[in-house]
Amino acid sequence: MSSPSQRRIIKELQDMSRDTSSGMEASVIDPQNMTHLIGRFKGPPDTPYENGEFAVDIQLPDNYPFSPPKMKFSTKVWHPNISSQTGAICLDTLSAKWTPVLTIKTALLSLQSLLSAPEPSDPQDAEVATMMLSDPEAFKRKAREWAIHYANAPSTAQQSRGPSVEERRQQEKERELQGYDERTVDRFMDMGFSVSDVVVALRRVGVRPGQGRLSEEVAQRVAEKLLGL
Amino acid sequence: MKVKIKSWIAVASWKWDVPEDEVCGICRVQFDGTCPNCRFPGDDCALLVGKCGHSFHMHCLLDWINTESSRGLCPMCRQKFEYVEQ
Ligand SMILES: [Zn+2]
Ligand SMILES: [Zn+2]
Ligand SMILES: [Zn+2]
Repeated sequence: MSSPSQRRIIKELQDMSRDTSSGMEASVIDPQNMTHLIGRFKGPPDTPYENGEFAVDIQLPDNYPFSPPKMKFSTKVWHPNISSQTGAICLDTLSAKWTPVLTIKTALLSLQSLLSAPEPSDPQDAEVATMMLSDPEAFKRKAREWAIHYANAPSTAQQSRGPSVEERRQQEKERELQGYDERTVDRFMDMGFSVSDVVVALRRVGVRPGQGRLSEEVAQRVAEKLLGL
Repeated sequence: MKVKIKSWIAVASWKWDVPEDEVCGICRVQFDGTCPNCRFPGDDCALLVGKCGHSFHMHCLLDWINTESSRGLCPMCRQKFEYVEQ
């Protein structure tokens, strides 16, 4: 005979296992004990925690859902509202603002959003909060290092050393420009032609690399070349 | 490209299999069944309809209201829960 509390926990676990879109997972550690769960989710994009795998220890009180689940990170996290030592979390929806219509899934979702929106003015870990306020770049670096080391986040060292997609595109374009003025070429690209088409047309019309603004007459001839007239 | 996170973390974006207004938000049991504290459907396990528009099994809501942390608020919208006399 299961208690009302257990029945709701079972419903929640069933719901979460069916739902694959939220990315929130929870499972029992020991099938004999429905009150001790482990939750998992990915670090949110555009944060130092991106694509890390974060695990959360969940203890459900006897009167769940009338009292909130007790949650703490079991993965070490560098974040002002999470203890870097114990994983304890400072979050109002898990304390004063909890209501019984909230669920394990919504609680995990709010932890994920906490990773996106650190609040150093109300810290759980004063050392982290101080660092975030005084040296945001150092904070981000350390949060990223921890995510790579503890949460198995993919290392982006390769990418951050090399050029970004945007930078690579620009380098490619510069090679294709072959010394021609970018603004001159852009004017024709706006008509829908590629860099190499424009460069060929400019060369055919007799425009030299490095030459500045084209006269209207030359521009007209380039356009005609491009259009195959 | 900057992804706006604030919008997709909205806590209200989850769904249960049954429409939200057909289950008691507290026990997640459909309103045509009893709350988990009662065995048989019937008058004893009444529905409470709030002035805020949110409904719950009476037993479920009382369990919540009797906790200190509820402060008498509707668990859905956190307005003071006042039921509509039926
Ligand atoms: Zn109910
Ligand atoms: Zn009942
Ligand atoms: Zn309400």
